Amino acid sequence: MGAIPFRRTDQPVSQPSLWSLSKRLLRAVYRSYIFRVTVQGILTLWVVTTCTFYMIRKMPNNPIEVKIDEFQTKQNLTYEEARSKVAGLFDYDPDAPFIEQYTDYMGNLVQGDLGRSITTGRTPVSQQIAKYLPWTLFAVGLGLLISFVIGMIAGAAMAYWRGTVFDNVMTAFASISYGIPDFVIAFMILLIGGIQLELFQVGDYIGSVDPEIKAGFNPEYIRSLLQHVLLPVTTYVLASVGGWMLTMKSSTISTLGEDYITVAHARGLSQRRILFGYVGRNAMLPLMTRLAISVGFVLSGSIIIEYIFIYPGLGKYLFEMTGKRDYTTIQGIFLVTSAAVVISNILADLLYGVLDPRVRVGSK
Amino acid sequence: MGFLIAVATIPGLIIGILCGFVPLGIGLRYQQLKWGIVGLALCGLAGFSFGLIGGFIMLVLTTAVVISYAFVDREDPFTSRASIEAVNFEESQLEFLMRQMAALGRTIRQSVRALIRNKAGFLGFIGILFFVGISVFGPLFIEYDGDTHVERLQPGARTLFQKPSSEFILGLDWKGRDIFSHMVHGGQNLIITSIEAGLIATLVAVVVGAMAAMIGGVVDQILSAIANFILTIPQFPLLLVLASILSFSNRFYLAFLFAALSWPALMRAVRAQVLSLRERDYVQAAVALDLGLPHIIIREVLPNLMSYIVVNMIFSIRSAMYYIVGLVFLGLVPLEEPDWGVMIYVGRQQGAIFNSDGASMILSPVVAIALFQLSLILFTRSLEEVFNPRLRSGL
Repeated sequence: MGAIPFRRTDQPVSQPSLWSLSKRLLRAVYRSYIFRVTVQGILTLWVVTTCTFYMIRKMPNNPIEVKIDEFQTKQNLTYEEARSKVAGLFDYDPDAPFIEQYTDYMGNLVQGDLGRSITTGRTPVSQQIAKYLPWTLFAVGLGLLISFVIGMIAGAAMAYWRGTVFDNVMTAFASISYGIPDFVIAFMILLIGGIQLELFQVGDYIGSVDPEIKAGFNPEYIRSLLQHVLLPVTTYVLASVGGWMLTMKSSTISTLGEDYITVAHARGLSQRRILFGYVGRNAMLPLMTRLAISVGFVLSGSIIIEYIFIYPGLGKYLFEMTGKRDYTTIQGIFLVTSAAVVISNILADLLYGVLDPRVRVGSK
Repeated sequence: MGFLIAVATIPGLIIGILCGFVPLGIGLRYQQLKWGIVGLALCGLAGFSFGLIGGFIMLVLTTAVVISYAFVDREDPFTSRASIEAVNFEESQLEFLMRQMAALGRTIRQSVRALIRNKAGFLGFIGILFFVGISVFGPLFIEYDGDTHVERLQPGARTLFQKPSSEFILGLDWKGRDIFSHMVHGGQNLIITSIEAGLIATLVAVVVGAMAAMIGGVVDQILSAIANFILTIPQFPLLLVLASILSFSNRFYLAFLFAALSWPALMRAVRAQVLSLRERDYVQAAVALDLGLPHIIIREVLPNLMSYIVVNMIFSIRSAMYYIVGLVFLGLVPLEEPDWGVMIYVGRQQGAIFNSDGASMILSPVVAIALFQLSLILFTRSLEEVFNPRLRSGL
């Protein structure tokens, strides 16, 4: 390699150096939607964690005090006795400076460690969440799925036969379902179905599963599982199906008025093809985003419904832990549920781009 | 308590009747005696139930209606009296005020007509009136039964719970108290707190949303970021934690807390609406005429948003009620009897769920809450018609 004649040493190199390349790459990454959204999501989660960290520790009483209270009333101990007993149980120091607690927690969090539960024998929080999460996912997820499917079909049918008796009856039902809060439905099922009419034995349907049946992949266990999830799922479905029906109905009606439907009719396409290929798919678009967003709120479940049916989900667990002031557990549950919301929101955006070609074309 | 009062009081009745003399007097002056008397009655009723605020609002509304009858309508074009629309540049301040009142009165009359026209909406309106009426006037006729009645124990029964009978139409609760009296006395607090919460949340959402959209720039970005952030945290768990931090000596704080958590959803919608309205021709025209920001927001943008805002306010009231009852039901709010939520909570604690005699203690408030919320939802249909300018102009 000889000397390059016209090159002056004080000028930057004309060919792309590593620095400018990486700068361009960085800019491209920054411009990319997924990157920006991910950074935003992480930032949101950090703020959520910090805020909840502060708030939770501002709650009156700390886990030690609550436990001391419990010992004092249950075992008739004096304050000092209870205190010494509790001090041995928990490895939590309420007098540690707030900043120190915060940096400790965040340090662990960055390594993916949610910490250890304060009140339940130092089990890792992630393990606790993993224990209660499937129950909520199962019940609320099933409820969401069923109500979504029923809502889709019924809503589309209502729009197709709009103005008929069927439409009026279904719209009235949907309004009622939409208007009544879920705990009202839960109490109605329990009190009217279970106690007044004695359609079923309440005791057999609330709680988790029969403790006598061994957990595992055997028919009895699955039957018991389904039996106990029946009432919460029925409640979720009855409470949310109305909303889906009404949205699907209005979405379908507006789709039916579109020009391309008229064109499809003019082209002589079969009624079935128009309904499924043209109306159905397009009417479902806005609902898919809503579904993705609701999936994010599945985790936070419904505290009240789980509490009424004594269902061992994440919501009921969060409520219990709030009572015990188990800081790390509350913190962990908040983090996980918020993360679910953030992720589902991102997915909803991406999903919309995938499902609706118009959005994809428009963004380019 | 917060800023709403709903107790039937004698001073309130006197204030209301005093307020009612204004529409009556104006009615006499303009030979509209019939509407003057209606105004007097309505003012008396409003003052009786909501005190000074109710009396005064009703005074303005009924006076406007009476004045509007004194002016020419489309229905009666041959009277010699002045027209609402006719602008006279030499009119005095008083005449201007009269004309504005007449315009307001006409709007009110059209709104009432729209309200009655929608059957489902009117049903909801009647339902809301029913519950508010029971909460306000019920206590005048039914005494609150707050003592334990051991003497009401039925022979052979183990608890004081009792099924509905002719003497106690909703039965007895776990202390042998009359459930019907609890229902009458217990709704007031809940309904008022929910309405307050919904009003505050809507107000914050509309102000912040309109501000973000009209000012734009950094303010918009910051406000939107805050809204998005609050939307990320699951609401009820957050409310749960916050409720245990602040022990509520006053239900009004609960309304405030709810508002602080629930404004973002509506705020984002209002912001988007204002952003799109800002580009419309008539708003651009107002900007070009330099009519000022308050005028543009209040006269050009807000009327188009009104139906949306009002409907969302009703939804907000509804979810406030859900959250408040939920918190009471989980025992996180200091229990104050009588209250529908407390009845559910105590009923569950005392085993009313598993006792067929006691079901009424939980079912009564639950059914009442369900009916009230259903009325709210139905009422929104009327409100849509009342506040939609396009539907209204057809009258």
